[in-house]
Amino acid sequence: MKLAEALNLVMRMRSRGGNLLPCCIAAGINPLHLKTFLTAELSLLCPDQTVEIREGIYGDLVGNVRRLSIGDDLEFGAVLIEWTDLDPRLGVRSAAKWSNSELSDILTTAKGRSSRLRQAIEEVGLHLPLTICFPSLPLPPYSFASSWQMSEFELDLRTIVQSLASDVCRLAGVGVLSSQSLDQQSPMAARLDIESDIRTGFPYSLSHASALAALLAQFAKRPVPKKGLITDLDDTLWRGILGEIGIGGISWDLEHGSQMHAFYQRFIGALASEGVLIGIASKNDHGLVEEALRRSDLALSPTMFFPVEARWTPKSQSVARILKTWNVGSESVVFIDDSPFELEEVNLAFPNIECVRFPTKDNTAIYNLTLHLRNLFGKRTVFEEDTIRLESIRRAHSDANVNAGASLTEPLDHTETEITFNSGKTPPDPRALELVNKTNQFNLNGQRYSEASWHRLLLDPNSFLLVASYRDKFGPLGKIAVIAGHHYKRKLTINTWVMSCRAFSRRVEYRCLVELIAQFDPEEIEFQYARTERNEPLHNFLGEILGTSPSPGCAVSRKMAEIRADASLNRQESING
Amino acid sequence: MGDSRDRLTNCFLAVFPNLSTDEIYDASSTTVQGWDSVAGVTLFAVVEEEFGVSIEDNDLTRFNSFHGFLNYLQEVMPSNSGLP
Repeated sequence: MKLAEALNLVMRMRSRGGNLLPCCIAAGINPLHLKTFLTAELSLLCPDQTVEIREGIYGDLVGNVRRLSIGDDLEFGAVLIEWTDLDPRLGVRSAAKWSNSELSDILTTAKGRSSRLRQAIEEVGLHLPLTICFPSLPLPPYSFASSWQMSEFELDLRTIVQSLASDVCRLAGVGVLSSQSLDQQSPMAARLDIESDIRTGFPYSLSHASALAALLAQFAKRPVPKKGLITDLDDTLWRGILGEIGIGGISWDLEHGSQMHAFYQRFIGALASEGVLIGIASKNDHGLVEEALRRSDLALSPTMFFPVEARWTPKSQSVARILKTWNVGSESVVFIDDSPFELEEVNLAFPNIECVRFPTKDNTAIYNLTLHLRNLFGKRTVFEEDTIRLESIRRAHSDANVNAGASLTEPLDHTETEITFNSGKTPPDPRALELVNKTNQFNLNGQRYSEASWHRLLLDPNSFLLVASYRDKFGPLGKIAVIAGHHYKRKLTINTWVMSCRAFSRRVEYRCLVELIAQFDPEEIEFQYARTERNEPLHNFLGEILGTSPSPGCAVSRKMAEIRADASLNRQESING
Repeated sequence: MGDSRDRLTNCFLAVFPNLSTDEIYDASSTTVQGWDSVAGVTLFAVVEEEFGVSIEDNDLTRFNSFHGFLNYLQEVMPSNSGLP
């Protein structure tokens, strides 16, 4: 994006109005045009909001990071670290003497500043999502070595930075901008603008500022990760047509020039290990497919595929069955096939599904496909719940087959259950927010939270958070329910109540209600309920508790809640014997 | 000739969107209220990016008006620019 385009865009967006999206750049440099570019990029990603970017004091990076905690309405903070923030002598604007004897002192200063910076980032990251960008500019020729030699000084300095990056990337609410992505978008040699640095204290070339802003905006407003991937088999998971050349004929190796299929297999194996659901939709003979998937040289475990839909019916029908088994919406799924015909057929049936062609025989394109998929499925962290998702879906599917027609209100036989509750608010549990932001069916009102607004809710002294974890004799389901709200003078107001669909039919919602009463001893419980297109299970549960159809702001007395919860849980016990 | 003038006008419009085209032709740091130091360096950057030039002239007073910029561009890009 050119600067003039960014300025025009910002002006257009401002004139449209919308809710304020306050953000901040904490930097030691003058963020000047970066601020304009970032405003423009965020405005493109958030067209309904008016982006307002604040900045700090020139030359005071640590102070600027600390001051982020003052702006309690901020939604996002970008922390830009440059070499001059570690020691001003590493920039062209410094007047300090330049000598080989200064090198160790620069390292000492850098270590001290790095430590203070780490502390500030840790403190602020607790309540404001931060994206950290580590030095992106080339180092000036400070050490004695030629430019083609890495000096000890440079290596030591980079170690300090790497150590800081390694520390902060593990902090809740803190993310580190990918230097590899930045390298791809902005060549190192074209990043520094000496004239601008001298003139204004803004050292970035416009092209670098533009690339950096685009990445920062993506980081701040990253899309919700997709949940499932449905893949074709022939000329996609492997090279060749199974029905024509048989199990021994299909390949994914160097010898047959089909190695990139092995790379694709390994990649989706990695996705599966991160909690992405992987299904198969193939026009094939089911028995033959099962046999092929048992080949010992397959680059991922065949158990990672569920369900496997190998049949001769239209693929849209297979996709429909897979979506039903997973219980996820088509908008959360990617469908991959080498055939444009199949892609179009599925896309017509499911316009929201992301259909991607597998570019068989084009190795570079297959590699690029994995980069694209990584961005679609990328997440900040992998939770324990991600690693057990597939198993719990298999189990639920098995239960559903045994107990056909089971629903939220028709309890299954789940003996030896253990539900544990955690009401700790700090440090913020990122899994709780993830569950709140991706649950649709058992959801009190569909309200989503940004990281910042979620942290603000939890910082309120009258707020509460209850997270329920579930396990039974078949294994754990992990954290499956989140309730958040406020308690004041024995009145409990529930702003958010979500529960994973994997926990349906286990009466967990009633156990949560009993736990709320036990923990907060309320006289009345009010629900900030709102009907959404998909929250029928919650609607029905609330109707059962209230004894009437729920409405916004509906409430139930403690006594009535106890009676109805007890009745439901007693029904469960009698079923379990 | 007119092309450079139009491009420079667009640069000014990006930084001073409230000015009309006629006002831009007469624009100077003394007549445009929003022409402060930040607007000045932004204008520099937009012009440099648009014309692919690096303005190294330290005589900043030269760039305090639309005509100042246009004259500069006429000098450094004589085949493509000029006054009407």
